[in-house]
Parts: sequence; C-alpha cells; structure tokens
Amino acid sequence: MSVEFRKELFANERDDDLNEIGKGTQRQDALGHVTGRSPYFDDHLFEGLLQIRCVRSPHHHARIRSVDYSQAENMPGVVRIIRPEDVPNNFNTLLSLLNFGRDDEPLLSSKKVSYIGEPVLAIVAASDRQARDAVAAVRVDWEVLPHVLDVEEALKPDAPVVNDVYPNNTFDYHDKYDHQKLRFGDVETAFAQADKIVEGRYQMSPIEQAPIETNGAIAAPETNDRFVCYTSTQALFFSLGTAAKLLNVSSNRLHFIGGTVGGGFGGKVDSLVEPMAILGCMLTGKPCRFVWDREEEMQVGAPRGGERWYLKDGVMNDGRIIARQFTGYFDSGAYTRLSSYAIIKGTAHLPGPYHIPNVKSDVFCVFTNRTPATAMRGFGVTGVDFAIESQMDKIAHEVGMNPVEFRILNAYRDGDMKAHRREAKNCALIECAQVAAEKANWPIRDEFKQASSMVGGGGERAQIPHTVTDEDGKIGDRRAGRAGGGQTRTIAPSTPAPAPVAYTPPPPSAPPAPAQQPAVEQPAYAHPAAAPAYQPAATQSPPPAAPAVTPAPPPAPAPAAPAPSPASDSSQPSARPVNRPGYSRFASNSGFRRR
Amino acid sequence: MSISVKTFASSAEAASALSSDRTARFMGGGTLIMRAVNEGDQSFNAIVLANDPALKQVQPQGDRLIIGAGVTMAQILASRDLDFLHPVARAVGGPAIRNMATVGGNLFAEHPYGDMTAALLVLDCQVTLAGGQSSALVEFLRDRAREPRALVASVSIIRPQSGVFRFKKVSRVKPKGVSLMTIAAWVPQSGGRISGARIAYSSMGPTPMRVTAVEQALEGAALDEAGIGNALAAATSGIEPPTDSIASSWYRKEVAPVHLKRVLLER
Repeated sequence: MSVEFRKELFANERDDDLNEIGKGTQRQDALGHVTGRSPYFDDHLFEGLLQIRCVRSPHHHARIRSVDYSQAENMPGVVRIIRPEDVPNNFNTLLSLLNFGRDDEPLLSSKKVSYIGEPVLAIVAASDRQARDAVAAVRVDWEVLPHVLDVEEALKPDAPVVNDVYPNNTFDYHDKYDHQKLRFGDVETAFAQADKIVEGRYQMSPIEQAPIETNGAIAAPETNDRFVCYTSTQALFFSLGTAAKLLNVSSNRLHFIGGTVGGGFGGKVDSLVEPMAILGCMLTGKPCRFVWDREEEMQVGAPRGGERWYLKDGVMNDGRIIARQFTGYFDSGAYTRLSSYAIIKGTAHLPGPYHIPNVKSDVFCVFTNRTPATAMRGFGVTGVDFAIESQMDKIAHEVGMNPVEFRILNAYRDGDMKAHRREAKNCALIECAQVAAEKANWPIRDEFKQASSMVGGGGERAQIPHTVTDEDGKIGDRRAGRAGGGQTRTIAPSTPAPAPVAYTPPPPSAPPAPAQQPAVEQPAYAHPAAAPAYQPAATQSPPPAAPAVTPAPPPAPAPAAPAPSPASDSSQPSARPVNRPGYSRFASNSGFRRR
Repeated sequence: MSISVKTFASSAEAASALSSDRTARFMGGGTLIMRAVNEGDQSFNAIVLANDPALKQVQPQGDRLIIGAGVTMAQILASRDLDFLHPVARAVGGPAIRNMATVGGNLFAEHPYGDMTAALLVLDCQVTLAGGQSSALVEFLRDRAREPRALVASVSIIRPQSGVFRFKKVSRVKPKGVSLMTIAAWVPQSGGRISGARIAYSSMGPTPMRVTAVEQALEGAALDEAGIGNALAAATSGIEPPTDSIASSWYRKEVAPVHLKRVLLER
C-alpha cells in the first residue's frame, strides 16, 4: 500500500526535517516475533514452580456467608490456601497511585462479590490440574443478592448498592457531584432559538481486548529478601505500585521484569496477577505462577466498558449547530479501575471537533454488577466519538445537507474556543474531510473545497460565552430521589485569556435560565457581545476563581492548570507523568494519598 | 489429580486400557485432547496413546481405500491415492494443525469442526473399531456421544470417479477459518439425471450429518438450475443449525441454499 503525503497542507506549520514520519520503520520486536525468540513472561519457568488458581463467584451479586476449604486443603498437591485475610492490605483502586478515587476493590473478597468471576480464595498447588481440582472442592455458602446490570437502572433510588464505597452507584466527582459536568454557554436558550432539535441515543457494548497471551505473572524469591516477578503487564510501574500497595512492601523489594506483551490493547493496564503471584511466593517461599485461562480472560479480564450516550442538538436550517447537550453513562462494572478517568478524558473531548457555542454535558461513572471495566484503545473518547459522528450523519440528513459539507461547515477553525476553554490550534478536520471526499469520489461544492482550517476561526467565535451553571446532581441527591434541583448560576463572558474566569454570582432572586435572552436583532445562533448585566451579589463573596468546568483531577486535562496541552492523545494513563506542574492544586480531590 | 499418560504398542492394548478406565481418553494427533488439557478440562485423568503402525497406513482394497485412523491431514495431502481428499485435508486448520490432526480424531471433533467427516459421509464410509466391529459412519456418529472412549482403527471409503465428488468449506476467515458450513456432495449421473446422490453437511448440527431431504429431491433431477430447485428448497429441511460466534442459526439457514447451489453446479 502506498502512502500519499499532502505536504502542501500546513506547510508553514511544519519543519520538513522529520526523521521518522514518512519513512518506513521496522518494529523493534519484529525480528524476535518472526524468529520465535521474543521472550514472554511464561518463558521464565522455575524448578518446582507452583500454580495458582482462584475460587470465583458464580453470581452477579452475593454475600459470602462462609467459605469451607477444609477438603481442598488436604487434596494432593495443594501447598497453600490464600484467604482474603492473607492479603496484607486487601483494598485498592488503581488510580490511588495518582491520588484519584477511593480504594474500593479487594484482591480477594471476604464479605460479598459484585460480579461473576470475582475471586474469593486462591489455591497454590503443585500443578494446574491439582489447583483446579482443589478449587472445585471449595464450598462457598452464598447469599444471592439482587443485582443490576444496566447503567440507568443502577441510578434509580431502589437499585441494589453494587459497591459499598460508592453507595450511590456513581463515582464521586470532585467530592461534590455524582457526575462530571461540562458547561459552556447556555444550551437551553440556544435550543429555544434553534430551527431544529435533533436527538439521538447511542450505545456501545463492552469489548474484551482478547489478547492471545492471557494475563499472567511468575514470581520467585530473590536474594536480599526481594521477589522477582515476570509479568505480561503493559504498565510495569502501575503493576509494581499496585503490588507494593496490596502486599504492603516497599517497591524496592519487588523486581519487576516486563518484556514482550503478548497482546494488551488496554487489558493489561490494571492487571492484578502480579500481587497474587508474589503473595503465593511470599506465603510458600516457592516460585509461583498465576495465569488466567481463556475463560477467565473473557469473563474476568476487564473489558472496555459499555457506554450509553444521549445527544441533543440545536441546529439552524443552514446547518450550523448552535447547541449540543450530552448525557453519558459509562458502565464501570463493580469497581472503579479506570472508567472514572476515562470520563474526565472524554469530557475534555466534547463536543467533538466542532465549533458549537453552547455545550452542556453530564457524564456518569456508574457501578453495575458487571466485570470491572478498564482501558482499551482510546477508551473515553472512542464511544462518544461514535455517538457524535453518528449524530452528525443524522443531523445532516435532517437538515438535508451533504454530510461532508455539514462537517466542514461546523468544524473547528484555528482560534476557535473549545468547550473546556482552550483555544483550538492546528485544526485539520476540514482538510481531512476534503481529502477523504476526494478519495471517495464524494462530491462537495467548491466553497467547501476551498474552506480552510486556518480561515474563519477565532474572533467572535473565540469569546467564552455567558455560561449557565448549576448544582444539579450533588452526591447522594439522585439516590434520595432529588435529581436536579440545584441552583442555576451564570458566569460572565471573557476573552480566552490565560487568566481564569471569575464567577459572578447571580442576584439573589435571579430566575433560572433562560436568563440571557439575546437581543432580537442579533443572529439567532450567536450570543450577543454585550450581554445583559449581572448584578454582583453584595452579600456573597465570589467563589474561588475557576472556570465553569469543575477542575479535573490529575489524569485529566486540567482546564485552569498551566500545563502545556490538555489534549493528550495517550489512551492509557500509564503514559502520563504523575507529577506535573499545576497538578498539585487538584491532587487531593478524592482525598486519598498513599504511602 | 494429575494427568497420566499411557502408551501402548498395539491399538488392541490401547482399546482395552480405554475400556477399563472411564477417565481415560485416546489421543490421536492431540489437537483436541491437548487443547482440553491446556484449558484445564477436569473430565478425564488419563491419556492413552498407541504406537501401532497400522493406524498410520493407507491401503487400497478393491474399489475402496482403507485409511488408518492415525493418518494425518498432512499425510493425506502427501498421498497420490487420496488426491480427491486433498481439498478436504487442505481445508482443515493451518499447516501445524494438519501435521497433527488425524482422520480418526476428526470423527470425534465437536462442532464447528468435522470437515473431513462430512466428506467421509458421502464416500460411503465404514468405521472399523480396534476390536474389529464395523459400522456405517452415520450410525457411528449417532452413537458417538455414548461411546467417547471407542478406539477407531480405520475407515473404509469408496474411491470416487472424477467429477462425482464435490466439497466446499464456507468460512469467514480465509484461508483457514472455522466452518460456517461445510458441504460434501456425491452426485453420480446416468442419462443426464442424478441417481443415488449423497449430500452431507458439517457445522449445521451437533454432528456432521447426511441431508436426506436434499438427496431425495435430487433423485432423478437434472443437474442444472431448474433441476435442483426442489433440492435447494429442501436445503435445511428438518435442520436446526447452531448459533455460535461464527454465525447465527438464522444466517446459516439463509445461506445454506446459496452454497449448496454453488457446490452442485460447481460455480
């Protein structure tokens, strides 16, 4: 396949002296793979290697009345039973390594299980088969509980509590809300002015990454009271930190060796095989191997979580989108893992690569009795992109426009203001759309062929609009049957200055939106430059300076932080540095600091 | 339990070891048994092997051929006598699988495997067990679930004249995906009319099967588009194909007549 470079595009923005881009490069692991010499974790077999297998929940949701392993203990080959109380620090959440979120997941559960396959006991035996036979001999007395598998069902007041650490079945954002908010402009007013309202519901099912090599690790005692661990992880330092925390040992006692990952795709970011293998090794003094079989990989391996999105767009007859509202539900499964972070990342991506002056989004990280969800290839963005682009086609159809021209019309231009108050730079959607249309022989009119990402952006479009904010969805409200009902506030407009936007509290008796009807002679889709004046409330001191978007925690693009670019493309948090300037002010949102 | 492995010099000894141990399984090439071992199958504790050279032999016998149960797909591909089975053997797995997979093992393969068995079904196959008992393949398949420890010594098939035997494996991944459906056909003609046709499917039910409704509809019909119309209409008559990750039952039913037509008309 030949590669074609459109070097005439953005020629002035690029030094054409790149060493890699545009040149063929051999993967560094290709030679090892084709000659069969790439070393995997499972190639490090030790004399007398013991095998570990888990007793797992057959129920979506159940309390553990008792566990009887007396028969298993005495079976041939069984060396050790690992019980929940054998785990030194049996409570963790992956992102506690970044001070984000509360510990909510045990390595082995002792009180209740919240998804099928949740481990409650591990057995160390001389062979895999002996471990399996012993697992089959363990008797667990389950008290089956009602379960919930649907994200919207889980938000209802009478839904079963999936995760005791988050009794509202939602992750707590910023110690305040049961969802991640994004507010930019005033969608309600704009909907009232729009010629058409287009709504859509989009859903993505969970996807298992299905690596050829299942999750696994081999641990063995090393000299100086250390342990070596060969692992399939794709996030070595996440795994090291997680193991050190769960096992309550200093990380310098753990010698982690990664290597070739036999397929990861996100499914080996938050692996929990290493602490189990090392724990087996600590308790027996022998090398231990803990590897999931294929069924475990499919059932227990954290997938890309399911997502459901509701989109509502206000559109003018000429095709301009003037308002877009999102309600998103991420199915986190029974525990947090990485969905909380995916939502922050996804919110920073809204409303997609389009200039829309009024944007509102509420995204929920919901706990259900499903397998905990994790990373997979652009998670957080992929699902909502599917929703956005499906919705774009739907709107183009509704307004009778060529879908490519419709995208070009609404695309970001350089200098436009994104909904999270960052200036759009190096925009290229228009050019991509033009080339794609040309390659697909998809006709577009001359004016759209001549459109450019470098022309027409900024100026008026870069003003931060009056923004209506609200206090809807405080933690616990929904559970108590008090959804919404918060106070509406507005934020004064501002230029896209680096200085944070100050709140202007509303007058005490300010009516809720639409408080800012634009003047009649203004174009219907644009907010007036001179807005109605807001009366500062004399009795109230302004809240801390912050943009309407609630400040994001560390792994997310931080709106007010002076960090370089919020639009990191990294699909996995492991690629992000933990300590960056500007992060500290948000670091303890969720209140947990470890070590 | 750990798995024990017992190796015998003759298939008769292996057969008696199998019959005396409920938890024993015979291993031919290992493509099924070793997978089960690796996946932690707890339904058997012993593996029985036989080094009997007779299991590896292919012998002509009149107008028939006797194929040892241990003959691999790769051996078939290397045999000039079995050239009509080359397209069938080539349809099974990749080279590594073909080096291991045996004719005898294929008779026990669960859905969606069993492409070779579909071909044997239309080649008037007789199955001979290690004890000497012989039965038609159709009966053998019917009893298969009840006799998982039967040791097959050989199969006997008829050597087809050219043009009579057809075979097609439909898969979504080329060239070695698992079967969506496999069709084998034996279509002899006399005086421009089909007479004594045999049609078999695999991946369309719990075991490979003869499709008698189609066979009856073909009797006396001309082998052209109009002539096979009734047969195509009966393509899935009385068949409830399985739903799996490759295709739904509905899809299999929908496409079966299309593929059957292609096989019959050699399109």
